[in-house]
Amino acid sequence: MSVAFPSLAFFQALQTLMRQEELRFRRLGFVDTTFGVEVLASHGAPWRCLLTFEVFECREVAEVASFDLTEIDFVLTGDLATWVETMQNIKQHGGADAAHSLNTLTHFGERMRVLYDDPDNRDKLFRFQESLQQFFDLAGRLDIDFPATTTTVQLSA
Amino acid sequence: MAFYMEKDFFEDVELFNLTQRVMQGDLTLRWFDPKTERVCLTPKDPARGLTYEDCNVGSYGYDRLPELIRNNYSMAPRGSELWGKLPDLGYTLNRKSEVWSDNVSVLYEEAKTRRWAPAVDIGWEALAQAPLPVPLEIAMAQMCTFLQECATVAMGGASRWIYSINQEFLELKSYLCAQIFDQGRHLEALRKRALAGGQGLKRASVAAEQALKELLSAESYSEASVGVNVLLGSVLLSLHRHLAAVASSPADRRLFSLMMQDTARMVAYGSGQLRYHLTHQPHQTEFLHDYLDNAEHCLLGLIGNQECLEPLIVLSGGGTEPEQLRRGGHAVQRLLTQLVAEYSERCERAGLHGRSTRSRLATFLRQLAGE
Amino acid sequence: MAYLSTTDFFEDQNFFDRWRRNLKGDLDLSWMHTKTEKLAATPENPRRGLTLRDLDKNGYGFSEMPEFVRDNRSFAPRGAELPDGLPDVQAAVSQKGEVWAYNTEGYYEEAMTRQWNATLDVPWAEMAKAELPDEIARAYAQLLTFLTEVEMIATDVPAEWMGKLNNNFMEVKNFMATQVMDEARHAEVFRKRALTTGCGLMKASPYNEMSLKQIRDADSFAEMSLALHLVGEGVVLTLFRFSEYIAPTDADKKMFRLIMQDEARHVGYGVQHLKWVMRHFPEKREVIHKHLDETENMVFGGGYALEVTEPFIILAGKGLKKENIEQGAKITALFQMKQIEEYFERLDKCGLSERRKRSKLHNALEFTRAALQEAGVLA
Ligand SMILES: [Fe+2]
Ligand SMILES: [Fe+2]
Repeated sequence: MSVAFPSLAFFQALQTLMRQEELRFRRLGFVDTTFGVEVLASHGAPWRCLLTFEVFECREVAEVASFDLTEIDFVLTGDLATWVETMQNIKQHGGADAAHSLNTLTHFGERMRVLYDDPDNRDKLFRFQESLQQFFDLAGRLDIDFPATTTTVQLSA
Repeated sequence: MAFYMEKDFFEDVELFNLTQRVMQGDLTLRWFDPKTERVCLTPKDPARGLTYEDCNVGSYGYDRLPELIRNNYSMAPRGSELWGKLPDLGYTLNRKSEVWSDNVSVLYEEAKTRRWAPAVDIGWEALAQAPLPVPLEIAMAQMCTFLQECATVAMGGASRWIYSINQEFLELKSYLCAQIFDQGRHLEALRKRALAGGQGLKRASVAAEQALKELLSAESYSEASVGVNVLLGSVLLSLHRHLAAVASSPADRRLFSLMMQDTARMVAYGSGQLRYHLTHQPHQTEFLHDYLDNAEHCLLGLIGNQECLEPLIVLSGGGTEPEQLRRGGHAVQRLLTQLVAEYSERCERAGLHGRSTRSRLATFLRQLAGE
Repeated sequence: MAYLSTTDFFEDQNFFDRWRRNLKGDLDLSWMHTKTEKLAATPENPRRGLTLRDLDKNGYGFSEMPEFVRDNRSFAPRGAELPDGLPDVQAAVSQKGEVWAYNTEGYYEEAMTRQWNATLDVPWAEMAKAELPDEIARAYAQLLTFLTEVEMIATDVPAEWMGKLNNNFMEVKNFMATQVMDEARHAEVFRKRALTTGCGLMKASPYNEMSLKQIRDADSFAEMSLALHLVGEGVVLTLFRFSEYIAPTDADKKMFRLIMQDEARHVGYGVQHLKWVMRHFPEKREVIHKHLDETENMVFGGGYALEVTEPFIILAGKGLKKENIEQGAKITALFQMKQIEEYFERLDKCGLSERRKRSKLHNALEFTRAALQEAGVLA
């Protein structure tokens, strides 16, 4: 069965896979953070979802209309094309290659940006880096339906 | 020896009689009814186990710690009954807002679950099978040499103070133990990485070490913590992130990602400590500003020294060809701007308001860029 | 202000100019031509991964490290090129014989892979189900109070000494870093267990606290290690084994087994260290005997620590009735003898067998043995 990207079903599928891989994620340690994923479209509203991680699992995924940065830790935002390229890359290599890791994509805010209010909370992206990377890497096991066209949206600095 | 027990017990008749009595079954039971709180704790969330937060209860909790510890200079555990002649173990950090941070329990628990072991968690064989091009490997070896100097101080920044911190601050001391352990692991991992790569260690850095010694030897805990955990921590976190981002092998990427996680905890403690300190001792704000006015030049020494800057440029540009070096220089310029911005932001948010305008770092960077 | 860097990097024009050139891609690259040894270490056993022993090669190794560190007084890792101008970090110990132990690197790697977590690896839920009889719960909570009280000494003291060691002794420093973590975990697990018994913490133990002060105040690394690793933790290792034996539930037994593993490493280091000292630093022998005279005085004075002995008697005899106490006292006496015997055995192994002859503690041991034989407790 395939899931569309971006969609709630996609992140729910990752959530399920993470539960199935409990041992591996347990070995990586506690992951306690709530953050947003934002997919910008060239026209129309961005797609947004909120992921809540607790102890060793992804406890909740929810599609949301907007983010309150003072309530959550950070938001990963990128245009649809970048997200799609990342997911395709993950599928192709069974996990992100060196150019498509979350850290590389967000490092200088070139391809993806990290939005935040409090830098202490933003730093959780680094504290839980391996768990979050491996969470996204689980997409390599999904059948993903990508949107027909993806245009790059210029990220405002 | 500096301390002798108060008696020669081998000549002590009182002790002889006491042990005889007890061993013949005449127990004193003087401990049987202590004046302590009876509790029976259970994990709030069984998946998480029994955490220190679960134990933050009543007279046992850290929330009830007073600002000034006057009643206990021994190791008697917080919440136990203190009686008799307990010694003064010589603690000199007895004020909560000198050392505490609200996140110490969380960070301690996190450190334990997120530990890794360099021997088995890094792909050493993959690294051996696919070595980096020689110039990049030399640069990596130089980088690992430099980062070991830094890890020694990140470790020392925690170990240096533990002996002086009152045992009532158990969770904080435990966090510092985790930091020592984390940084010891970095020393190990970096040494292994350099010596597995075929190039050995490279050159120690005079500039970096001068800066490191200045930071490590700060006179007060709050100066040392902002200097080591926030300033040095910010430098290391930026470098680990950057090295993970530009890594060309999965093994290196994983190595620096794992190091990044540990360093982010150190920065989180440093920021939390600064915030707690300034909330409870607002008059210290000016002192710390003044300290940083003098100490921030260490950040330049740490990142601008040849033994860090040059290999960083080589690794960022992917080689030593002129075009690669130009590209590398450009990437490192951006990294510096980002590092200083993030460091200043952490200071500001933790309560050192006005740091970013007061600091000379941003101006220095602009001059570097030739603006 | 404390130490100040010899350069103010805001003010150094050369530093600035070079930096600026570097960013434009104009590099000096002199570090690419350092005259350090090249090495491509590989895991001897791939399943064990790349260990510190695999790095024990030539100038980078610890086997060939000279007895006196004359070159490095900085933060630089052993084997790096040391340019002029590195700071002196004021190491208090720069003699290998003072700190080294056979198998230091092995204890370190073992510690790295055998870490456990008091929060998750102890079956707290199972323990919560076990209803302990009141006197057993109290005795156990008192024993746990004592244990949590004494553990952090073995954090404070190694942490303090770590910073005093020459950075060439990386393997020892790192071993100490693992010990610091191990002991924080021990203080944690005993505290948590006490708070789950229904009793909470009980009474502090003033006598034992005095012993901690003695351990803190050792005036050299070798003497510190003797008091801490060999005597203190040696005695405690026997005590953990005894605690496992008398522990009230299976879950508690598991907890003590986990702790025992860590403690055995610490004692292992202590024994292998003393052995090393005896072999490489023989002139220390008399100083060590003097030190042991006072350390044994501390151990013997432990008779005053009724906050430990009495709970032991109750736990070993499984109750407070007369016959329980009688039985418990016998078992406890045997345990105490075993504690001291094992201590002398360890000294034998280190080449200090003459200790028995000059030791008052050994006299006391013989005296107790005779008394127990007379009472029919011992064959
Ligand atoms: Fe221990
Ligand atoms: Fe120990």
